[in-house]
Amino acid sequence: MQVPLSEVLTLSSVALLVSTFGVVVRRGFAGWLSAYRYQSVVLAGSTAVIAYATGLWEIYAAAILTLVVKAIVIPRLLVRVTESVKDEFKIEANPYVSIRLSLLISALLVALSYGVIHETLISANLDVYALTYLPVSVSLFFIGLFVMVSRRMALNQVVGLLIIENGLFLFTTALTQGVSLIIEVGILADILVGVMISALLLLRMSQTFDSFDMVSLESLKDD
Amino acid sequence: MTLFTTGADSLKVVAIGALQVVAVFAFAPLLTGIMRKVKARTQKRIGASVFQPYYEISKLWSKDEVVSDYSSWVFRSAPWVVALATITAALFIPVFVPFSPFSAAGDVLLVIGLLALARFFTMLAGIDAASAFGGIGTSREMMISSLVEPGLFLTIFVVSLTLGGTDLTSLVGAAARSGVVIAPSMLFGLISFFIIILAETGRLPFDNPATHLELTMVHEAMVLEYSGRSLALIEWSQSTKQLVLLALLANLFLPLGMPTSIDVGLLPLGLGALAVLAKVALISVLVAYVETRVAKWRLFRVPDLLTVAIASAMVGMIFFYL
Repeated sequence: MQVPLSEVLTLSSVALLVSTFGVVVRRGFAGWLSAYRYQSVVLAGSTAVIAYATGLWEIYAAAILTLVVKAIVIPRLLVRVTESVKDEFKIEANPYVSIRLSLLISALLVALSYGVIHETLISANLDVYALTYLPVSVSLFFIGLFVMVSRRMALNQVVGLLIIENGLFLFTTALTQGVSLIIEVGILADILVGVMISALLLLRMSQTFDSFDMVSLESLKDD
Repeated sequence: MTLFTTGADSLKVVAIGALQVVAVFAFAPLLTGIMRKVKARTQKRIGASVFQPYYEISKLWSKDEVVSDYSSWVFRSAPWVVALATITAALFIPVFVPFSPFSAAGDVLLVIGLLALARFFTMLAGIDAASAFGGIGTSREMMISSLVEPGLFLTIFVVSLTLGGTDLTSLVGAAARSGVVIAPSMLFGLISFFIIILAETGRLPFDNPATHLELTMVHEAMVLEYSGRSLALIEWSQSTKQLVLLALLANLFLPLGMPTSIDVGLLPLGLGALAVLAKVALISVLVAYVETRVAKWRLFRVPDLLTVAIASAMVGMIFFYL
């Protein structure tokens, strides 16, 4: 059965947005990670769709790398690091912006990014991938940023950063149809190292303050 | 209905419409039975037969009623108002065939109004007997229903914008003509409509339909005082509401197998009705699975889920206007 390409693109962008909303609505670390994992799987799938349509093997490689690093390695790493932390510190109990309000704001951010992209890029002769995925990637970027600034938990900041990165990856892939594989590998290695460093910081933070609350970082300690 | 010019045709259409309504009432308790059975099996219980709701209703129907001395006419009339409002709402909804008998007289907004009327009288009856449980159930139901409303209306806007119009017969016809649409607005609409149906029909995680524990019940608390024939009426209308809402979900969002209009002949209509039955049964199995998977949420977390529905419908609107 021949499935039209545009419908596959639409479905995958809807799935990406739904998974991003999953990160916004969940309160616990396990929930964020599973939403992120799901998002990465969908991202790898949409990269593979672009690869299939353009026929470039480099994008296939990028898709497989995305799947391995983002859907398997990074979540495992984060789970391993936070194993020793008590469960009550892994829950966003008291965010700056309530969960309900941040959901509505995220919906408005999706609207904003679609509006921005359609205002600025509609004349710029883009192909169907760019037109479908660019607004999605911009909304991933916005929502990731919003999650980072509106939550107290350090774990949530890491997840927000990862969402932003997913958005940027989608942006480049959709717009350029594959920067060279070396650069992709470099970016992925960068992320991996970034997550490792932030995991290290998280571990130190949980040992020093016994919590992941960002507010505890603001007070000076005299010892 | 200008499609039908000859008298014999219009007579046939009326007959089909009437048959559809009768079928809705006949199958509604069966759906409840299927849900209970699936839920029992997924919890490693055997469960009662799928026909158990019929036995319960027929037994309740012949039993005596107990009515509190302190209750007013509201308490006694509420089950009949609820049942009549639900029946009238069912007459407006194309359930098994893409046609509803009253479609010329009102659209989807009227259906929502009728269901709201039924709910309003259930709530009144809950307070009328002045038992503490009735009050608790009513206040919870008020909270949930006032939060369901914006999501429901946004979803209806999404559906009517995408398919055109608010008339249910033409909406279902349009959905059937467009086949399986992968329109992003409809996908987001489907998500929010599913959550809203869970809230409207009082399933988990909003309300546990199987509980009589005072801290958790919502709908059960309101109808706790009822017995006999009144209870039978209320349970039957609850099942009917569930069936028509699930059928609406199937017909609007998953229109596979639905004939595009009523005058395609009896065989395609019958096949379409069977397809609707199969789809509704599948959706109810899904709902029962969801019920087994999740626990009832704390009452003050319920708005979170309803906000998901609202946000999802909002994104659906955004996608429509692109």
